[in-house]
Amino acid sequence: MRLAPGSVGWLLRHELRLAWFNAAGGKAADGRRRPGNLALGLAAAGCIVMHVASWFVVRQLAGMPDDDPRILLAVSALLIVATTFMLSSAIKACVVVMFERSDLDLLLSSPLPSRSIFTVRLLGVCASTAALYLFLLAPFAHAGLLQGQWRWLGIYPGVIGLAVLCSCGAMLLTLGLVRMLGARRTRVVAQIVGALAGALLVIASQLHALTSRQTQDGIRTTVLGMVQAENAGDSLLWMPARAMLGEPLPMLLLGALACCMFMLTTWRTHRFFARGLQLAASTPSIAAGKAASTTAQPRFGRSLFRTVVIKEWRLIVRDPQLLSQVMLQILFLLPLFFLIFKRADVQVQAIGAGLALLCSSLTGALAWIALSAEDAPDLLLVSPASQRTVRRAKLAAAMMPVLGLVAIPLLWLTVRMPAAGLVGFLVVCGAVTGAGLVVFWCGRPGVRSNFKGRGKGGFVMNVLELFNSLAWGALGWLLSAATLGPLDDMGIVTTAGAAVIAIAVPAIAWMLRPRPV
Amino acid sequence: MDDQLPALRLVGLRKQFGRPAVDGLDLLVRRGEFYALLGPNGAGKTTTLRLVTGLLAPDAGTIEVLGVDMTAAPAAAKAKLAYLPDEPMLYGKLKPFEYLEFVAGLWGVPAQDAEPRARELLDWLDLSQHAHELTEGFSRGMKQKLALAGALIHDPELLILDEPLTGLDAAAARQVKDLLLAHVAKGGTVILTTHILEVAERLAHRIGIIRHGRLIAEGTLDALRERTPGGSLEDMFLHLMAAP
Repeated sequence: MRLAPGSVGWLLRHELRLAWFNAAGGKAADGRRRPGNLALGLAAAGCIVMHVASWFVVRQLAGMPDDDPRILLAVSALLIVATTFMLSSAIKACVVVMFERSDLDLLLSSPLPSRSIFTVRLLGVCASTAALYLFLLAPFAHAGLLQGQWRWLGIYPGVIGLAVLCSCGAMLLTLGLVRMLGARRTRVVAQIVGALAGALLVIASQLHALTSRQTQDGIRTTVLGMVQAENAGDSLLWMPARAMLGEPLPMLLLGALACCMFMLTTWRTHRFFARGLQLAASTPSIAAGKAASTTAQPRFGRSLFRTVVIKEWRLIVRDPQLLSQVMLQILFLLPLFFLIFKRADVQVQAIGAGLALLCSSLTGALAWIALSAEDAPDLLLVSPASQRTVRRAKLAAAMMPVLGLVAIPLLWLTVRMPAAGLVGFLVVCGAVTGAGLVVFWCGRPGVRSNFKGRGKGGFVMNVLELFNSLAWGALGWLLSAATLGPLDDMGIVTTAGAAVIAIAVPAIAWMLRPRPV
Repeated sequence: MDDQLPALRLVGLRKQFGRPAVDGLDLLVRRGEFYALLGPNGAGKTTTLRLVTGLLAPDAGTIEVLGVDMTAAPAAAKAKLAYLPDEPMLYGKLKPFEYLEFVAGLWGVPAQDAEPRARELLDWLDLSQHAHELTEGFSRGMKQKLALAGALIHDPELLILDEPLTGLDAAAARQVKDLLLAHVAKGGTVILTTHILEVAERLAHRIGIIRHGRLIAEGTLDALRERTPGGSLEDMFLHLMAAP
């Protein structure tokens, strides 16, 4: 079929073609413009495995009643999980659409109507949001179709409808933020909101640790009441779950709602989308204007060490993408802090192990940014500054924020439970030092924009970081447990083994460090 | 300070990347000289500069910066020079003053010297009004000028520049050229590579032409012109490049 140039369909075909080419990833350099055979083979194998597994699951659930509130509750819980992740990925996709411009300048300078461009970009966000869930859930629909269980087909409209609603919500949120906060702040806020939405479930999963027994009992009673009440199955709360289970009316309602939301979003906001893009394109000058109003006096004459530390902190704090990633890691520390400050029955083993694991991970991330992802390595090399001092300062710039972050909670714990607090200090210092040294000696150069993919750059560094985290995590658990009572023989042996690994990891990193040729 | 010492002396410098990039290069640049290094793409100009600044280690040969051996005492040699590559070495998330503060810290410039010098350089290069903006929003010319300010913050005796005028508008190019001439007038030494032959023609005291990593011609503009009677530097350059 020949699509009219400039039409939404034509533009959509162009986007799909680019997405297919982009799926080739780093392999595009050899001239091939499609994903490799191995990648396609793996995807096909995954698809077949999913279909086989779903065939048996669907057959097992053949006699399942549609309106059992327990099933509706389970499906609703799954939908809440999926919606949270969908919203997170949709917000991130909207930030990419708004701020990572690639070919947008070309499209916007063309005579194409901004509504067409916006519609296609929003469709792209919807498609990317729905793709993973369709890959995982569509096999159930296919298995249901083959076994004559038509209601499983509700997965398609359910997932697509949900993805459209999340994508439109994310786009409206991003555009609203641009209007309220301006482009520069929107980028930071949207990335943090996206990360928070993704982490919401991790925080929610910790609720049982954060809430009192009384509150937990209250929640349990309320949920049971909802499920066991007379006519419980008729509640409107179950509508999304009913749509997913293939009930015609809820399915139609969800589809209609998604269509309306999509049309309203494109109809009402396409002009603001174009304006938002213009604002996003002028982000640096906006940043400049804001910065000028908060003029800080330059501080020349600091020592080399302090100069480097301050430069690293400035670069991290001013990079919204990095900041949101680092904030996400800090977010995982919050439940542990809550445990330390709030709960009377402090679970010292969990705190010891959790702090060691998370501080190790956070230090590894910061050390990679400071040491491996230097923006101007030649500037440092061409200067007469001692490279050893520079690198030590970078290591310190990575370690100090982590130690500072956990210092007060650990001091508080030490006041309440001195032995457990001291163990906490020991394992955190060990984990932070180990993680920092692994990157210091084995980190490979990378670029900051590739923060998420930093693991692909160095297998040795990743393995050593993992062992460092696990060893100090185990030591945190066991030594904290030892403050409550003597360890058994197995515990003593495990502690000794973890201690050996914890010491061996930086030693191995030192031995594997690249030496000047 | 020994005024007889050359600003830069290269003896038998070699560097291979599979094939020779710099092939037994001998070069001597005097103090207070403005020296232009010309050559076609891939001639070894940038590799030479990266060897001189310590960014690459030579396979053979010696590099002396104002009498200091770059291989034996790199820190002492680097303290005397500054390098401005064709892609400015900047941090997008730093403001100009912060960048200059960082570079001054790397070269250990005392605060009482660095701060007024930073203000003077930013004023001179018309960057003062942008002093508190993030450099990521700067144009190519502004970035290049800021990188030049960074190179000059420690008042280097030897300033090495790789294609410093690429992408600059006429006004910015003029500012950069004026700054380089002022540096030479104060007794500093400038070595630059350029593809714009007029720049070499108008600014350089001496010109060296390299090809396949070797110096094939060197001298003042007049001396070089004598090799191609009646011709311009461009004629002579093209004549040399056409030779087998």
